[in-house]
Amino acid sequence: MKEVWVFIEQERGIIHPVSFELLGIAKKLALALSGKVAGVLLGYQVELLVEEIFSYGADRVYLIEHEVLLYYRHIPYVKGVSELAKKYQPEILLLGATPLGRDLAGGVATQLETGLTADVTELTIDKETGHLLMTRPAYGGNIMATIVCSQHRPQMATVRPRIFSIPEREPLHRGELIREQIEFKEEEAKVKRLDFIPKEKMVNLEYAEVIVAGGKGVGGKEGFGLLQEIANELGGEVGASRLAVEAGWISYDHQVGQTGKTVRPKVYMAFGISGTIQHRAGMQNSDYIIAVNTDPQAPIFKIADLGIIGDWKKIAQALLRALKRERGFYE
Amino acid sequence: MLNILVSIKQVPDTTNIRINPETGTLIREGIPSITNPYDVVALSLACELKQRYGGKITVITMGPPQAKASLREAVEFGADRIILLCDKKFAGADTLATSYTLAETIKFLQKDDPFDLLLFGKQAIDGDTAQVGPGVANRLNIPVITYVIKLQDIDLINKKIIVHRKIERGVEVLEASLPVLLTCEKELCATPFVPLEQVIKATKAEPEVFTAEGPVIFTREKLGLKGSPTQVKKVFTPELKKQGKIYNLEEVPLEKVIEEIIGVLKEKGLL
Amino acid sequence: MNKYLYDVVIIGGGPAGLSTGIKLAQKGLKTLLIERGRFCGAKNLFGGVVYTSSIKEIVPEFPEVDPSPVERPVTEEGYFFLSKEGVVKILHTKKRADESFTALRAKFDAFLSEYALKKGIDLAPKTKVIDFIRNNGFIEGVIVDRPTSFEDPSPATIKAKVVVIAEGVNRLLTEKAGLVTKTFEPEEVVLAVKEVLQLPKGELEARFGLSNNQGLAVEIFGEITKGLPGTGFLYTNKTTISFGIGIFLKSLMDLNLKPYEILEYAKLHPYFRELFKGSETLEYGAHLIPEWGIKGLPKPYGNGVLVVGDAAGLVNPLFREGTNLAIYSGLMAAEAIFYAFEKGDFTERSLRRYEELFKDSFIYKDLVMLKDLKTFLLSNSHLFQVYPEMIYDICSLYFSAQGRYKRDVIREIFGIIKKKRGYWGILRDFVKIGRFLW
Ligand SMILES: Cc1cc2nc3c(=O)[nH]c(=O)nc-3n(C[C@H](O)[C@H](O)[C@H](O)COP(=O)(O)OP(=O)(O)OC[C@H]3O[C@@H](n4cnc5c(N)ncnc54)[C@H](O)[C@@H]3O)c2cc1C
Ligand SMILES: Cc1cc2nc3c(=O)[nH]c(=O)nc-3n(C[C@H](O)[C@H](O)[C@H](O)COP(=O)(O)OP(=O)(O)OC[C@H]3O[C@@H](n4cnc5c(N)ncnc54)[C@H](O)[C@@H]3O)c2cc1C
Ligand SMILES: Nc1ncnc2c1ncn2[C@@H]1O[C@H](COP(=O)(O)O)[C@@H](O)[C@H]1O
Repeated sequence: MKEVWVFIEQERGIIHPVSFELLGIAKKLALALSGKVAGVLLGYQVELLVEEIFSYGADRVYLIEHEVLLYYRHIPYVKGVSELAKKYQPEILLLGATPLGRDLAGGVATQLETGLTADVTELTIDKETGHLLMTRPAYGGNIMATIVCSQHRPQMATVRPRIFSIPEREPLHRGELIREQIEFKEEEAKVKRLDFIPKEKMVNLEYAEVIVAGGKGVGGKEGFGLLQEIANELGGEVGASRLAVEAGWISYDHQVGQTGKTVRPKVYMAFGISGTIQHRAGMQNSDYIIAVNTDPQAPIFKIADLGIIGDWKKIAQALLRALKRERGFYE
Repeated sequence: MLNILVSIKQVPDTTNIRINPETGTLIREGIPSITNPYDVVALSLACELKQRYGGKITVITMGPPQAKASLREAVEFGADRIILLCDKKFAGADTLATSYTLAETIKFLQKDDPFDLLLFGKQAIDGDTAQVGPGVANRLNIPVITYVIKLQDIDLINKKIIVHRKIERGVEVLEASLPVLLTCEKELCATPFVPLEQVIKATKAEPEVFTAEGPVIFTREKLGLKGSPTQVKKVFTPELKKQGKIYNLEEVPLEKVIEEIIGVLKEKGLL
Repeated sequence: MNKYLYDVVIIGGGPAGLSTGIKLAQKGLKTLLIERGRFCGAKNLFGGVVYTSSIKEIVPEFPEVDPSPVERPVTEEGYFFLSKEGVVKILHTKKRADESFTALRAKFDAFLSEYALKKGIDLAPKTKVIDFIRNNGFIEGVIVDRPTSFEDPSPATIKAKVVVIAEGVNRLLTEKAGLVTKTFEPEEVVLAVKEVLQLPKGELEARFGLSNNQGLAVEIFGEITKGLPGTGFLYTNKTTISFGIGIFLKSLMDLNLKPYEILEYAKLHPYFRELFKGSETLEYGAHLIPEWGIKGLPKPYGNGVLVVGDAAGLVNPLFREGTNLAIYSGLMAAEAIFYAFEKGDFTERSLRRYEELFKDSFIYKDLVMLKDLKTFLLSNSHLFQVYPEMIYDICSLYFSAQGRYKRDVIREIFGIIKKKRGYWGILRDFVKIGRFLW
């Protein structure tokens, strides 16, 4: 039976949502291959996560627990995943294109001497050959390339968060748990974590339901203050184009696009953003796009569900007033 | 004394990339080639460390003959030895074949004098894969730390290094034993304003050229297109979603537009 | 002790600086050329026709060089008279294909700098000269924006017996050296804008009727500049077209026009719209062309210093000469420097040799002949407006004369002439142009 594997990214017992997204797409791929979905979980004292993995559709979970795996380190994690793959020969192995996932994937692919496609945004099975078709942006998002790995197994890919949606949770779904014992030695890890400095404020762009984004057209820091107010009203986050980030109006954590984050909120509002291909790459999967721009030719309008030609500030101010009124705070 | 290796790649300047709208192909004409910006960070760090601790910098790149320009640029940063891996047999390599070719070359170069520090870019801006660095480290069996944003300390006597690594939720402070391979983020090091003598020296520098025939001995099957498990099957331009409603504020009253937005927010359950 | 000691320092890596450098290196003088761009040619712009004879003076083996800077040899040359509605073309198939060729600056300058490096000069790209080392009215070297060494962060100073200023039109250092006192006026410079356009594959040859090793170079008058004093140009490269316009800065300022607007406007003309259909702009650039005339030239020499090329005002826009004049001035400067080294005297007294050589050359004579060019053109701007329209209208009548009584046609033609300029007007223009050129 062919298996589609998903590496379950966890830190301190919390699973990264991208792993659920991958379980969802893995299910579709497995269906096309008449195969099964398996989650691969490494860590220390993480067994309680197994149920959650099953509930997102995994038929199997491969579990390796060891003290050395307490937090992510390249060498032991590569060893763990590679040994599993050598033993069980999965057809496909998917990882999130997060810093952790990319770091791990590069090592595993080398150990297994197989192909690895980075930052994939589309996955399908070629009906004729049964090969995995992996589509990804290249050259700054200007073109898309479809890549195959026909002769080597597993077919590996890292996938951007928020490209696929999280599947419906089935709390009762269960599968088979396979525990693997692998020897690890602390010295082998060669790297030790001395400290961890958490981010002061996590910007939860990827998983925000509403994003109020601004670009060069917003004109300065103050403008982003106004956008923040709107976002607060809606319980959303503020996004930004690269030019706004480079201008120092807002921090890089807020950047949306090719070199920033991929987002798929229910509503994405773009104020004063031209909508170049690199920006669109990060937000075109949003459910509903509202764009405000003074330039009728701005490419953002080509993907907007609702486009407004006009000054962003006028609209933003009016919108804020209306939102406050809606919520009954107005005067 | 530090023995440093930097691996760099010449890439098309993706800010200038244009696509022919009719054929959907890349227009290569007139697109300048640059040294991958993250690799410039790696060179900058090497430069700074050499000034601080003394030592030697070796720079390698695999690419077509034009990639010499990037190696010359490396000399500005104080590179002592520059090597171009150039052969048709290397061409068409994916990250697996690239990491093989680079790793074998590094093994050859460090036979007598092992490298302490191997610096790679976070990723190359043409492919954006970020896979070559970890791949090389695995082949060399040395630790790798990706996304490094700060080098806090090097202890040359105990052969240890402390660096900061950027991950999603914050910054990890990591200690590793040398040799180690680091992949460099933008924040790691500012580009130095290199002195005049280096610039003059760089224009005259000629790299050593290594081919598939030697001096490194390669397994042929692992090189270039042959050694690449991934194949690009199709290349196309991304499609645009269909256009929706457009209002012009000069024609439609503001209230109407705001009402519409509020309507959408309600419909999506956000209000 | 100074770290950097040279016989000659050249400021600027355009054709002027590079040809000076190549010539000096051939005689073994220790030469450093400083260029602020990423490489020679990175920051530069030209229309694109270069004359073989001048190149051969510095690169004798030309055109047998690899890689070659030649885009296409110019095999057809001529004028387009553009009216609002259409165009009248005068094209001349050249007797010899090897007199001139089209080139792109980035490649051409890079070619010369490679050659200069091979001949043994030192080159410092990405480096800007910010001042001179001065001593008692002597220029003894330059100061650059780069540090001296990794250990010494102070700006590097480079000592030299002679400094050659080849900085181009913006002559800031020429001013700093005290060789010219006033900055230029808008009526003294032409602003040229240029695009490099790429046509779909095979279209260039098809649309211009060229084979692979044929090239076209035309100057365009009339509507292309909206009738302002100036010209447009169109040259064919290997796979691209250089298309641009040069207009007096003053005219642009008077009408508050931005250079790219004019170029965009020109590309909307029905003829060019069709000609450039499906094209893609690869490059865009704007650059000034000096038009100082003989009276506005800087003093081209001083104690320990010489000025060459555009910085010295050596351009003849009427005959599209610039690169070659830059090269010739470089050669003359090199010769004057050899003379100075022979005598061991780097004062004005021996460097004046440069001006003597210069005054003997056709360059100087041309400049004298065209000394009133800008005044003439600016005060006769109707030439650019009236004639191209008139020529087109006349041709329209003449070439549609079939099936009509020809005397009527001729009468109408004379009617046009009368209306547009009048017989006397035309006669006066002819006399004026004749006098000016004689
Ligand atoms: C659209 C696209 C998407 C890709 N996605 C992935 C992916 O997800 N996973 C993956 O593993 N790989 C992928 N690749 C390949 C990957 O980007 C590159 O293989 C990797 O970054 C290194 O490439 P390269 O430098 O070998 O090749 P290129 O990107 O083509 O770079 C230049 C190369 O020119 C070649 N070359 C040409 N002439 C010569 C010569 N005379 N001598 C030597 N070399 C020569 C060299 O191989 C050199 O490296 C992708 C490639 C493309 C084009
Ligand atoms: C390799 C690469 C990666 C990149 N990655 C990213 C990325 O991840 N994310 C990203 O965003 N960019 C990225 N970029 C940059 C991208 O190409 C654009 O430069 C950038 O997105 C443009 O930002 P902008 O839309 O804010 O600015 P501009 O393009 O300058 O647009 C500003 C817009 O504001 C409008 N405007 C002005 N005043 C007003 C007003 N008063 N009211 C309303 N509208 C107004 C203007 O009409 C204009 O359309 C990348 C580029 C490259 C080459
Ligand atoms: N062809 C190459 N030659 C030398 N180094 C390379 C090459 N390709 C990638 N690298 C190095 O690997 C890093 C990551 O590249 P990539 O995995 O392609 O994103 C780059 O920043 C370089 O340091």
